[in-house]
Amino acid sequence: MPVRRLLAAACALAVLAAACGGSGDGDGGAIILATTTSTRDSGLLDELVPRFERETGIRVKVIAVGTGAALRMAGEGNADAVLVHAPEAEAAYVASGDLVGGRLVMANEFVIVGPPADPARAAAAPDLRAAVAAIAAHGRFVSRGDDSGTHQRELALWRAAGVDPRAVAREETGQGMGATLAIASERRAYTLADRGTWLALRDALDLAVLVEGGVDLRNVYRVHVVNPERHDGVEAARAEAFAAFLVAPATQALIGRFRAAEFGRSLFSPAAAAGGGG
Amino acid sequence: MSAIGEGLLEALRLVVRGDAELFAIAGRTLLVSGTATALAMLVGTPLGYLLGRARFPARTLILAAAGTGMGLPPVVAGLVIWLLLVRSGPFGGLDLIYTKQAMIVAQFVIALPLVTAFTAAAIQALPPRLPDLLTVLGAGRARAFWLLAREARLGLLAAVIAGFGAVVSEVGASMAVGGNLAGDTRVLTTAIVTETSRAANERAIAYGLVLLAMAFAVVIVLTVVQQRGAR
Amino acid sequence: MEARLEGVAFSYGDRPALETGDLRFAAGRVTALLGPNGSGKSTLLRLLAGLERPRRGRVLLDGRPAPAARAAVAYAFQEAVFLSGTLRANLDLALRLRGLPAAARRARLQEAAAACGVARLLDRPAARLSGGEAQRANLARALSLRAPLTLLDEPLAGFDERGRARLLAELPDLLRRFAATVVLVTHDREEALRLAADVVILREGRVCAAGERRAVFAAPPDPETAAFLGYALVPADGGLAAVAPGALRPGPGDFTLALRVEEVVDLLSGVEVAGRVGGERVAAVFPPDAPAPARGDRVVVGAPAAAVVAFPAPG
Repeated sequence: MPVRRLLAAACALAVLAAACGGSGDGDGGAIILATTTSTRDSGLLDELVPRFERETGIRVKVIAVGTGAALRMAGEGNADAVLVHAPEAEAAYVASGDLVGGRLVMANEFVIVGPPADPARAAAAPDLRAAVAAIAAHGRFVSRGDDSGTHQRELALWRAAGVDPRAVAREETGQGMGATLAIASERRAYTLADRGTWLALRDALDLAVLVEGGVDLRNVYRVHVVNPERHDGVEAARAEAFAAFLVAPATQALIGRFRAAEFGRSLFSPAAAAGGGG
Repeated sequence: MSAIGEGLLEALRLVVRGDAELFAIAGRTLLVSGTATALAMLVGTPLGYLLGRARFPARTLILAAAGTGMGLPPVVAGLVIWLLLVRSGPFGGLDLIYTKQAMIVAQFVIALPLVTAFTAAAIQALPPRLPDLLTVLGAGRARAFWLLAREARLGLLAAVIAGFGAVVSEVGASMAVGGNLAGDTRVLTTAIVTETSRAANERAIAYGLVLLAMAFAVVIVLTVVQQRGAR
Repeated sequence: MEARLEGVAFSYGDRPALETGDLRFAAGRVTALLGPNGSGKSTLLRLLAGLERPRRGRVLLDGRPAPAARAAVAYAFQEAVFLSGTLRANLDLALRLRGLPAAARRARLQEAAAACGVARLLDRPAARLSGGEAQRANLARALSLRAPLTLLDEPLAGFDERGRARLLAELPDLLRRFAATVVLVTHDREEALRLAADVVILREGRVCAAGERRAVFAAPPDPETAAFLGYALVPADGGLAAVAPGALRPGPGDFTLALRVEEVVDLLSGVEVAGRVGGERVAAVFPPDAPAPARGDRVVVGAPAAAVVAFPAPG
């Protein structure tokens, strides 16, 4: 009677699944870290999180979404900590009291990449604003369009250059950095990328760094703890432990060394020592 | 071309080498999707049976809902389950978000309409006098269910195949409610997304091949059982 | 087992299907439900089997409501329905659902299959049986249960002419051996006469006549029932006279008719001579050795008083 055997197998599987429940949590409980796709895609968190879990027994559930979505998760109390790179957007959540204990973790840079032939001659522009204006006038641009930190920075760059992004030959992918870089490469278009992701993926891309450096392209990552006084169920103590771990000297040294040998330069520069809180 | 060729080679290398991560992810995929399909069978088979046999006021409505649910994009199911299970949601207290259990719930929701609609269709395709015959012969409700399910076993196995095929290959819901946590809730489909975004295309293709092979193996077993029953 | 319907009414949705009033099926007897298609015969069987519940009234088997007494009923549908598997598996399942132990099942199964002539088909897939084989198997399944109440819906449908004649001859003995109280549905008068002791005549969901078959056949209550039973209706004394089928003989009788011959059919066992009286076809059988009339002849035929029922004009 195959039907009976089938349903018996179904019951057995269900019991098995129930038995495996909770196996994900370590002894010290768990926290939810909402962060950006760039920190995950670079592989940095794969390095740091297991170390933290070994040291404290606290499990970290890394949910990689756009910065906007990560901040919204925190704002609704659906995460315990955030690691993001959108200072303006972060400020709003700090002001509302949803995020507390913010501190600098690391920094790297945004770079403008585009076709090596540089049809808009962005590399030759005297400054960042002129380069952005040149791309607006003569190039095509591929945007993340996903409310990520990178997307927000891109919009800030248009604003600073006095360009209406709607007037630019510009397409939004709605996807992560890796996919957006791949699309830009295929379409011979310009895009804005964080240096970490760029370095990790550049071998597969027909793109070159055309504009870099300067304070306006600085990319700063901060960690914040979700305010337990505003949201029930937040594991504030564990989140605080994770934030403290990120800025601890040993971790900072690790961040500085991360994949440095592979790329000949560090992907992220440790920033906690440079001071500057939330 | 070369990326695909390298992907094939990489897949073979990973399988032959017995890559621990690959096998862990594949096993987890089988556990999560298998459990979700099994639970969908436990609920959907009796429900479909009821819809196929009984006449009651809400019947047409439920059948229409099941038919619509078959076309439900997994990512929508994922979003709804996410909103329900997330900490600020109505079931946040259960602390299920970003666990395998949450993925099972989401995949259950995706598979249930498929299993229900397929079962109802299979039961309705039986000779109309068969239920009467069983009643007259003195079969109780449970016995009649077993006997009719056995008669409809070809259709029921089609229901399992459809349900399992849908959940093992979906990515949106697993990503949303599982969080794609390495070593915990990362399954083959979400692993493919991760590897693709890291430009590790060879590994992504390898995972894709394993997913295909696994789905094929499960379906072939079910089909063999099905066709043996057809004789 | 005695089956009773008390003031039963039943409808499919809004469409009334049956209104029986009080009706009784005597224990240990074979009753034929006779009526044209759509008269509610099968519905009545479904009520007795507890497959349908009356909208009004009660269906009682030995005083218990029908659904509760289901285990006492064996029911062969008009179309034979089987589960997948061999005929043996199908027959065995029916007995198993009645809770019989394996040894008893084997014996019962073999006995009923042999009696119904399907013993050599037992190991065939039930789905592959021919129409007549399936009908005999269907009958075997019902009879193997040896139920206190056996319901047979058109047990002779689906056979070719020879197969039907053979089973019709075997059925009375089969029913005696395997069944106690029997209610069988037929639309054929001859089947009812050969198989049943009692007859219930249904038309348009109502009971026209019920009782011992001789009484019912000899005294149809109204012209429509008489016509259904094969009576010829002819005008007489301002009303109607119904003449029983086969009752007319050559020459005058208690009831005499004059006919102009329109048809002459040699049936070998006799010659059927037919004509019209008041638009109604009337037939008499002449013995084979008597001189047969020709078409256009005038003949006088008569029937005994016992074979004629008078229906005075209404009002």
